[in-house]
Amino acid sequence: MRHLSLLWRHRALISVLTQRELAARYRASVLGFFWSLLNPLMVLAVYAVVFTTVFQPRFEGGRPYPLFLFAGLLPWMFFSGAILDAAITLVDNGPLLAKVMCPPELFPAVVVLSHLVHHLFALPVLIGAMWVASAWGWHVFPWTIFLLPLALIPWILVAAGGAAAISAMAVRLRDLRDLVNHFLNLLFFASPIIYSLEVQQMPGALIRVLKLNPMASLVTVYRDVVFTGKVPPLTQWALAYGFGVLAWILGSLVFSRLRDSLVEAV
Amino acid sequence: MRPGELIFDGVEKNYKIRGMRSNRQETLKGLLFGRRQPKMPARDYPALKKIDFSVRPGEVVALIGPNGAGKSTLLKLAGGILKPTRGQVLREGRLTALIELGAGFHPEITGRENVVINGMLLGLSRKEVEARMEKIIDFAQIGDFIDFPVKTYSSGMYVRLGFSVAVAVEPDIMLIDEVLAVGDEAFTIRCMDHLARMRRRGVSMILVTHDLDLAAAFADRAVYLNDGLLQDDGPADSVVARYRSDVAGDLHDDVDARAPIRVIEEGRRWGNGEVEILSVEFRSGGRPARLIPSGEDCEIVINYRCHSPQRDFVFGIAWHSEDGTLIAGHNTDLDGLQTASLEGEGVVRCSYPEAPLAPGLYEIDIAVHTADGLAYDYWCRAASLKITAPVGLPGFWAPPHRWTSSGKIWK
Repeated sequence: MRHLSLLWRHRALISVLTQRELAARYRASVLGFFWSLLNPLMVLAVYAVVFTTVFQPRFEGGRPYPLFLFAGLLPWMFFSGAILDAAITLVDNGPLLAKVMCPPELFPAVVVLSHLVHHLFALPVLIGAMWVASAWGWHVFPWTIFLLPLALIPWILVAAGGAAAISAMAVRLRDLRDLVNHFLNLLFFASPIIYSLEVQQMPGALIRVLKLNPMASLVTVYRDVVFTGKVPPLTQWALAYGFGVLAWILGSLVFSRLRDSLVEAV
Repeated sequence: MRPGELIFDGVEKNYKIRGMRSNRQETLKGLLFGRRQPKMPARDYPALKKIDFSVRPGEVVALIGPNGAGKSTLLKLAGGILKPTRGQVLREGRLTALIELGAGFHPEITGRENVVINGMLLGLSRKEVEARMEKIIDFAQIGDFIDFPVKTYSSGMYVRLGFSVAVAVEPDIMLIDEVLAVGDEAFTIRCMDHLARMRRRGVSMILVTHDLDLAAAFADRAVYLNDGLLQDDGPADSVVARYRSDVAGDLHDDVDARAPIRVIEEGRRWGNGEVEILSVEFRSGGRPARLIPSGEDCEIVINYRCHSPQRDFVFGIAWHSEDGTLIAGHNTDLDGLQTASLEGEGVVRCSYPEAPLAPGLYEIDIAVHTADGLAYDYWCRAASLKITAPVGLPGFWAPPHRWTSSGKIWK
């Protein structure tokens, strides 16, 4: 809990560092912040073309499939982006740690926050796409979308816990980032993002295995809310929040274990 | 504890050196598949051993010693950047570390944005930084560049901005690591001036420097570190002299085999002993005296013995007040005496026709050393003298003086 109070005490600094992160990323580009909007739009466009005209997926989790996929990809991009950046953040900010006395806890938090901001910028694209699809009669507009903040919280918890643990471990193990990259790839396909666990299209044994993946509940809850348009069952909420809190606690434990050795190693 | 106070209590710091892998980054591969034999045990490298010292509020302490002595480690421990392996570091008040100027400036964003971030990292609130922004920009003298990305700055501008932010924090304790050596001369002078002003306001400072003249002139006290050990802690000029002597001794060791410097009395007397100071005494009016009225004549008599003939020798005297402030210093080299030869036993005298000192206790350091500083015998506080006067006068100097006025305003 010291972790949490420390973050709270330095909230102003975290917000300034997050602004720096965002400003630095777009400072030298022509379109600036529009990239946050443009990136997801491009992703959506590519998926729409590929999955409607090039080939049909075998396990179609929902229709229209590009929107279904997009609703699963968005939170995933937030989560995996934050985890990957967390692996380099402490080394990148080494001078601040070693020369200025900055609490190292701030940096994974800043990484998660800046990816969260990107995620929030992508939401208008998602909502716009849903609206267009419903206007054309392809889909019913998911009014449950107002539950989105609640569906996002477990994602933030998992990302924050994961980012804290990975950032601290990556200081000593510099090749952790590659490993994490492959692990995220694996996790991506093990999570119901390109398919759905509810539509009975896959062998039952496989579904039972995939349901063991704790990320499944997070993906399902999020997509139910922003795409399917139904309120997820309470068990799914409980699973998602349970895993979120657990991941956060574990992540901050790992971090506090390694904390004191970080400055010497960066 | 009062703000500005800093205490090292039995502090030790070990760095881990991991056997064969010490130079390489550890990798997962190494961790998972690395050959366990031959097993190199992780060794602890002691960077600092049993350091006890304290800085009083408003005191300026110079940290001197050769490279690798542990000065930067000590500074980082003082700043809380590193944690001690054993012992504890206590401090009170706001602390700023000038370890690397502009450390953590982000190249892509503007100077102004970086100032806000750095200021907040140093403990100010956003409002406080913005209130001081004009002062910071003024002091850094970078003008309109403040609104350009930092990557467009010259290295001088970078350093100036870093310094300006750091001092704008108005800390109680300031840690300074050799940062004044960077930047152009004009800026260095302004930095020194600013530090001197901060010192007058009662800011405590620890200053790591290789500039021994600066250390002796600016610091109240000096701490001499070598091999992670605290070698000496005392008035800046005598500790600096001790360090100079050690360095000169090392240099001589390379060319000829002279007797090594040894400590005769811890923290007070050292030298290689080839020339020995037997005794030091004060005389006044032709008689030995420990108590001299202010303004009377005074003579310092140094009895020496030479163990081998010397052609390179300088006799020196430093006067201190009771609180360690250097009042005067002179030696035979500065006074232009040409050396011929020093042999056997003898007496060297330094006489003062009058000693217009304010009443109080004074102590003198007596030294015989080579022209480049190698100590034959360096004796701090070798003798003390009490100056008396009918009335108590403040300060150190009690010159003969007379008051007059235009009218008869006194009876």
